[in-house]
Amino acid sequence: MTPMTPFIRDLAAYWPQILTGLENTLLLTGIISVTGFLGGIAVFYLTVVSGKRCRKWTERYISFFIGTPLLVHLFLMYYGLPELGVRLSPLLVSVIGFTLNVSAYNARYLTTAYNGLDQMEIEAAGAQGFTLPETFRFVILPQALRFSVPSLTNQVIQNLKDTSVAFLIQYNDFFSQIQEIASTNFEFFKAYVLAGLVYLALVSLVVAAARALERRIVLPT
Amino acid sequence: MALIEVKNLVKRFDGHTVLKGINVELHEGQVKVVMGPSGCGKSTFLRCLNLLVQPTSGQILFKGEDIAGPGVDIRKVRQDIGFVFQHFALYSHLTVQDNVTLGLRKLRKMTARQASDKASHELERVGMFEYRHRYPAQLSGGQKQRAAIVRALAMDPSVLFLDEPTSSLDPEMSREVVSVINKLYLENVTMFCVTHDPHLAKYISDSIVFIDEGVVLEENIAERLFYDHPNPRIREFFLGVIDLK
Repeated sequence: MTPMTPFIRDLAAYWPQILTGLENTLLLTGIISVTGFLGGIAVFYLTVVSGKRCRKWTERYISFFIGTPLLVHLFLMYYGLPELGVRLSPLLVSVIGFTLNVSAYNARYLTTAYNGLDQMEIEAAGAQGFTLPETFRFVILPQALRFSVPSLTNQVIQNLKDTSVAFLIQYNDFFSQIQEIASTNFEFFKAYVLAGLVYLALVSLVVAAARALERRIVLPT
Repeated sequence: MALIEVKNLVKRFDGHTVLKGINVELHEGQVKVVMGPSGCGKSTFLRCLNLLVQPTSGQILFKGEDIAGPGVDIRKVRQDIGFVFQHFALYSHLTVQDNVTLGLRKLRKMTARQASDKASHELERVGMFEYRHRYPAQLSGGQKQRAAIVRALAMDPSVLFLDEPTSSLDPEMSREVVSVINKLYLENVTMFCVTHDPHLAKYISDSIVFIDEGVVLEENIAERLFYDHPNPRIREFFLGVIDLK
């Protein structure tokens, strides 16, 4: 029987921590994918239904969060807010920071899809007696979501990968555990290859689910 | 009392006056066709009647109430006016059946079963029942327009507005739609129809309102307008329809 290499041995020793890290990564990905999705719909709703002034603010919001790095928002909240006496947990900062960021991206995808809709259908709903919020609910949103599925599911993949930056604000995610093993045994190459493979496997699962969803909702032509 | 009475309707867009004081009445059971050259304001006129376009001034009395005035729930008014668009405007994510039932369930507050029964009945009326599970993308132009007519009719409106219902159809599909509208005419459905199509105008109209440059030049029956009209503008417009005699 060949002796275990130090890396495998360390991996086995750290396994419970790695598993916890993986759980935390999946937890954060799950939470921000849901909150970012709902937030995206909320911002999209305001973009379509609200008045001119509110629309301008939603556009500014989207531009700000798409135009600035996520890490800046996370650092601002985690390291900056304590100066003002506000101290938040790494998970809470991650959820808030990612949600604001992902909502902006999702709202942009939905708005782009909305711009491609047949505007006559929206006028027809108005002519039938639907209010704009009702038209949003029954005509605009179902179609915008359908057209945005590839972008929205890609965003979930992006979320999964991006959670790895949360370790920079002390969130114990999968990557932070890998980082810890690597800094213990100095086998950085193996550690990061392993991290890459695990992320690839997780992303592959999301891609498979996304493609199944796309097949399910495609309209017959 | 007229079902719809339009008094001195004016519509301006960016300083350009499209409608210059239109006066028209529509009574219950009556069908009026609005004709005129492209850009004369006939579609704008129809859109003003349910406030899809806000009139600049004038009165639109619907069942005696000025719907262009303040304090009117235009949503309720629109539920009582069926509107059929030139390019069908069916909800593309819904089947034909769901296109018809959406308004019944959400606006008329029918149960799913009641809405489905009503939709089936109306779809049978125009020969669209067998296509009820298809999506708009799976229909021909004529079928789409018939589905759009059913969607409007299913709400049991007091009046049906048709905005160039055959303009984007080839002659064969156009005949399909004309025959459905003609059937409605024979059933005494009250209609306001904007069209360029003299065939449609002749077969469904009690009278034709001829609009040119934002004013009503004349309102008359098809035969009087189509053939040897004393007004040179009207005569010129209807020059090609002599074969309809």
